[in-house]
Amino acid sequence: MSERFEQTTTTTCGYCGVGCRLEAHRADGNVVSISPALDGPANKGHTCLKGRFAHQFARSRDRLQAPLIREGDGFRLATWEEAINKVSTALNGIKADHGPDAIAGLASSRATNEDCYVMQRMMRAAIGTHNIDNCSRVCHSPTSFALRKSFGLSGATGSFDDIEQADVALLIGVNPTQGHPVVGARIKQAALKGLKLITADPRRIELADYGRIHLGNRPGTNAAFVWGLIGVVIRDGLIDEDFIARRTEGYQAVEEMAHTYTPEAVEEVTGVPAADLERAAHMYAGADRACILWGLGVTEHKYGSEVVRLLCNLALMTGNVGRPGAALLPLRGQNNVQGSSDMGALPDTFTDYRPVSDDAVTSMFEQRWGVEMKREKGMKIPEMFDAAVAGGLKAMYIFGEDVAQTDPDTAHVAEALESLDFLVCQEIFENETTRYADVILPSSSFLEKTGTFTNAERRLQLVEAAKEPPGEAKTDFEILMTVSAALGHEMEYETPSDVMDEIAEMTPRYAGLSHERIGRKGLMWPVAADGTDSPILYTDEFELPGGKAHFAPLPYKEPGDAVDDDFQLILVTGRRLEHYNAGTMTRRTGNVDLMTGDVLEIHPDDAAPRDLDDGGIATVTSRVGEIKLPVQVTDRIEPGHVFTTFHFPEVRTNLLVGQSSDVNTSCPEYKVIAVSVEHAQDREREPALA
Amino acid sequence: MAPEQPAAAQLEVFIDGEAVQVPKGSTVLEAARQAGSYVPTLCFDDRLEQFGACRVCMVGVEGGGPPIAACTTPCVEGMRIDTTDATARRVASNTVELVLSELPRPPAPHTELAGVARFFELGEPRWRGARHEPDEDQRHPYLVLQHEMCISCGRCIRACDEVQGAFALTATGRGFSANVTAGLDSGFRDSTCVSCGACADTCPTDAITEHLLLDLTSEIATNGEEGEGSR
Repeated sequence: MSERFEQTTTTTCGYCGVGCRLEAHRADGNVVSISPALDGPANKGHTCLKGRFAHQFARSRDRLQAPLIREGDGFRLATWEEAINKVSTALNGIKADHGPDAIAGLASSRATNEDCYVMQRMMRAAIGTHNIDNCSRVCHSPTSFALRKSFGLSGATGSFDDIEQADVALLIGVNPTQGHPVVGARIKQAALKGLKLITADPRRIELADYGRIHLGNRPGTNAAFVWGLIGVVIRDGLIDEDFIARRTEGYQAVEEMAHTYTPEAVEEVTGVPAADLERAAHMYAGADRACILWGLGVTEHKYGSEVVRLLCNLALMTGNVGRPGAALLPLRGQNNVQGSSDMGALPDTFTDYRPVSDDAVTSMFEQRWGVEMKREKGMKIPEMFDAAVAGGLKAMYIFGEDVAQTDPDTAHVAEALESLDFLVCQEIFENETTRYADVILPSSSFLEKTGTFTNAERRLQLVEAAKEPPGEAKTDFEILMTVSAALGHEMEYETPSDVMDEIAEMTPRYAGLSHERIGRKGLMWPVAADGTDSPILYTDEFELPGGKAHFAPLPYKEPGDAVDDDFQLILVTGRRLEHYNAGTMTRRTGNVDLMTGDVLEIHPDDAAPRDLDDGGIATVTSRVGEIKLPVQVTDRIEPGHVFTTFHFPEVRTNLLVGQSSDVNTSCPEYKVIAVSVEHAQDREREPALA
Repeated sequence: MAPEQPAAAQLEVFIDGEAVQVPKGSTVLEAARQAGSYVPTLCFDDRLEQFGACRVCMVGVEGGGPPIAACTTPCVEGMRIDTTDATARRVASNTVELVLSELPRPPAPHTELAGVARFFELGEPRWRGARHEPDEDQRHPYLVLQHEMCISCGRCIRACDEVQGAFALTATGRGFSANVTAGLDSGFRDSTCVSCGACADTCPTDAITEHLLLDLTSEIATNGEEGEGSR
């Protein structure tokens, strides 16, 4: 009986990339409770404490409820008309004086596909620049890059259902029970029913306790570790010769390079005992069906994209791709980090990763939108900040991303934002980034909008508004449409569903998509014109010329940072169950009561000489910054390493992260930071930011 | 050795006279649902392994024998089930009435237990034995455990084990004292609970529920909008 609720809306969770389907129950105009949809394909009637409970942020009193315009050191309330007018006047002025490439935009990986598509169209068509990017730059851009190079398409090769069908799963640089709790629960249940888990992480993650082998390789040595597995597989004759011959190219070079990575040599680099490495390689390669799952522990490194290619090598040489139970499953961080890139909110590609340098593609969009566009790609996020500091970039339009808290080298980001002549933020709360804004436009949370999210399985699922945006706040769709029109480029969509129709029309691999077809069950791209979707990719052919997958002989190289006499420990950053990324949402809910602040995890062997006990305050110093926070002494982390999260703005963990980033995609190296850790009373504290 | 059955082998059974084809291994409950015949359940949840503890899903089988639990009995070729069998209904109804008789107040109208009570047209329980004393644990920021409403169906414990894998809940006590507890009776927060809420989601009585929902339920009750089927 549902008299308790005035309305129940089925929608898709706005937290992580698992994509749980939710029933949002409304009373008195607010969402008062959320329960899992029993038919959700990813969550199957389950959800975690974020999806189920952490919804009160949406009715938090400090939601932005009216446009704000900078006045002196603060902001004043403004009407929509005034705010939009200010935005269009300023952006058009900068465009006239400095050209369209003096303006850059960031779309949001928490927003819908339709919002991201409209945002990239606004930047490209209304402003006239390819300077559009999204925060997948700082998480899974290496995954996207590598999967496209090795297999052809930028997404998981299968679905979460492959986990239950697999005999073995290799988890590397991922902590699903904390970061992706519902998939974590599915993996744990599968392990209890016989799935053999191999976990590789500098921390002994919870799933290691349910696994067969845990390998605590040193941060930044993933490439050597994967080469170690590859070397044993080849040495002991466990390759799938038939698959290699029929479906791949370039194996020979990998085989030649593998001989240098003996288990003993790899132990030297990674710290993983040779015997454990051999056992893991035998377990993975000996399975009929094996999956590989990874997260930011693989990607957020100087050579993150190369490690993903090595994982693809491992799957290819054992024939573990393109079959049920044999999938490569990158666990995407945010609800729509897959979709925001799929939709072309990237400086070099339109929808489905088709390059702006491809004249045929760009011409097609020019005709559709009635504008002319360049064939040269725009700036990536880190390039935008560098250009702002150098003076070439004058304005930014940041939609739903708190770069001043989440991007690396916070001091550099702050300098970039300060250097801009004009900054627009489209947000649901004031945050570290909005402090630098000239205009703040109040927008909507996932509970207040309509459209689709694409989860880590490539599955597009419907998002439906369960409540109204607060006060005068508007949906992002409406705001972007209005701003674009004010800039002189009117878009003809009436609803987000119309946007999806255009996406389908303009994108062969998404040809069959429509809101109606997506329905309650979702669709996994590619979606044929008749609506047939693709739970498993590459069953017959890879999406590369000739239909064959490509091996990549990429040697191990040392990470961008390393310990020395001054910085003796390696800091790894990550997430915790109770909170989500910058904490903007979860810190405004009861989850704060469950976890009140960031802590620094440190091994007893490292804590003792520093005289640090549980709760003691540590000063953590890197080559670029310094923070203070309480410690938690635990033997779940390997000696020589420390761990913390970036959920709390008062800690500002990303002050410690330098400029090192992935060589192919500029994804920052959040996972290997040489630091010194001292008892905070050992010396006077200096302010972190001058 | 008998020839191996193909995996998708079908059986034919008769539910209230209607023939239905079900995959081999299906339970009588699954067949009844396929036939569109309602069989009440209490300890059953699609997300959980078969359990068969509450005896509320009792149905009659043609050809004699006592009523059977539909949720755990596998279908056999040609089986004829009567979901309205008088003996089965009486057994199940009495079971539910006994469960209700231990509660200090009727379950809230939206709960599954209240729905089952309405199905059996149960009023005030005929037996006035001991009732549980209110014992509410509010220490968690979201979850509330109203021990007095626990009917020991085990759904929360099984959801915690089989869906989430947190193993935070335990059955305690015997007989009238049977109940559920988080950790070593230490509350959710000091147990291995990960606050996923699967227990609250499956609970058929709101013995485990959310603070916000409890407020909403009591608001409705005080506003006099309580559903008539609540007793």
